[in-house]
Amino acid sequence: MSNALFFKAANSKEACALLSKYGKKAKVLAGGTDLMASVNRRLLSPEVVISIGDAALNYIKANGKNLIIGATTSHTEIIRSAVVKEKAPLLAEAVRHIGSPAIRNMGTIGGNLANASPAGDAATALLALGANLKLISSRGKREVNIDKFFLGPGKTVLKSDELLQEVSIPIQDGGSKWAWYKLGKRKADICSVVSVAIALQMDKGICKKARITLGAVAPTPLLAKKAGALLEKKKPDEALIEQVAKVAAEETTPIDDVRGTAWYRRKVSEVLVKRLLKQILV
Amino acid sequence: MLKLKVNGRDYEVDAEPTATLLEVLRSKLMITGPKMGCNTGDCGACSILLNGRLVKSCLVNALSASGKEVITIEGLAEPGQLHPLQKAFYDHYASQCGFCTPGMILAAKALLDENPSPTREEVKEALSGNLCRCTGYVKILDAIMSAAQEMKGSRK
Repeated sequence: MSNALFFKAANSKEACALLSKYGKKAKVLAGGTDLMASVNRRLLSPEVVISIGDAALNYIKANGKNLIIGATTSHTEIIRSAVVKEKAPLLAEAVRHIGSPAIRNMGTIGGNLANASPAGDAATALLALGANLKLISSRGKREVNIDKFFLGPGKTVLKSDELLQEVSIPIQDGGSKWAWYKLGKRKADICSVVSVAIALQMDKGICKKARITLGAVAPTPLLAKKAGALLEKKKPDEALIEQVAKVAAEETTPIDDVRGTAWYRRKVSEVLVKRLLKQILV
Repeated sequence: MLKLKVNGRDYEVDAEPTATLLEVLRSKLMITGPKMGCNTGDCGACSILLNGRLVKSCLVNALSASGKEVITIEGLAEPGQLHPLQKAFYDHYASQCGFCTPGMILAAKALLDENPSPTREEVKEALSGNLCRCTGYVKILDAIMSAAQEMKGSRK
């Protein structure tokens, strides 16, 4: 037997107490689809495992301004939620393409964020939606905008004693347009080669606000700020869309790996941004 | 100590903090229907039902499943009997090497439990996490469509 320890937290307070006790030695276990795959690959051997699957962090609710989703809400629960479909259809669509039915039954929205994979599908969609993340610890709580959450592959601003409690998505009033595309080598159970999420606020044909995000083309899910800014306060036509797509591709910093080359990823980023913008604007 | 109900029977067994449910089922409980293919969640050969939901047991932390109920291929029918899905796989020659079969059948069972009359497309979606390296997918789809018909008939 190893000397590792396992704890099942009954609620978030208990999880925080355990995290403040064990800190860096501990790994938080939600659905397990990332953590256990890393353990099985011998990439990780945590000294302490803190399971939060039964810590009452599984909920979806909406107040007037925000859609709030608890960290251990599974992808399947998100897809099946009528309120998510109504208030954040972009998230529902992105999550529908994560893994396969069994993986979606296990994997959680909090895990998709906290693992900070550059290819995280829910993460890329939530970045486009400008979500706010509530982090808690025994010291207190803080809210971090998703723009400031990711630091690099597998790295976030979460301190070793902090837990991601919930995700809060601002609900757009009328005029929002969105699109999602995931390019993978297989339809299911695959990391994105490139994924693109687009969330626009339109008013009488003018783009008031544009958030264009891409997965798997940078060390973190990428918000293409210049591309978005180019689209804002304008009435998009085909020429502008071509330009925006080009700028978005220039903002990417992809790498070569088993799923695709940097050259291909950049090329396809432009194609996908263009295709999605045309789909919703032309 | 890990407490599990597997195929209707209660078990209590020790498990390492990082052990997977698949390891416990196969190596401690000698329930070898769930297969270890990739051990990284890609192939679906280890698929089981956990509290009625389809999961890949190679990615389930064993201790986190304590108190839950597991159904494996062994638990689908009484010993000596075949579940309609098993019968349909047999009748349609839907197993070649057979390694993926337990996972395929559990994925199909999870689908039919929620959607008794799926379209062929819905069956494909439901099996999207299960690989058959003999590539016998057509006969697997035929078998599941036929089992769905059969099971609907017997419910009347």
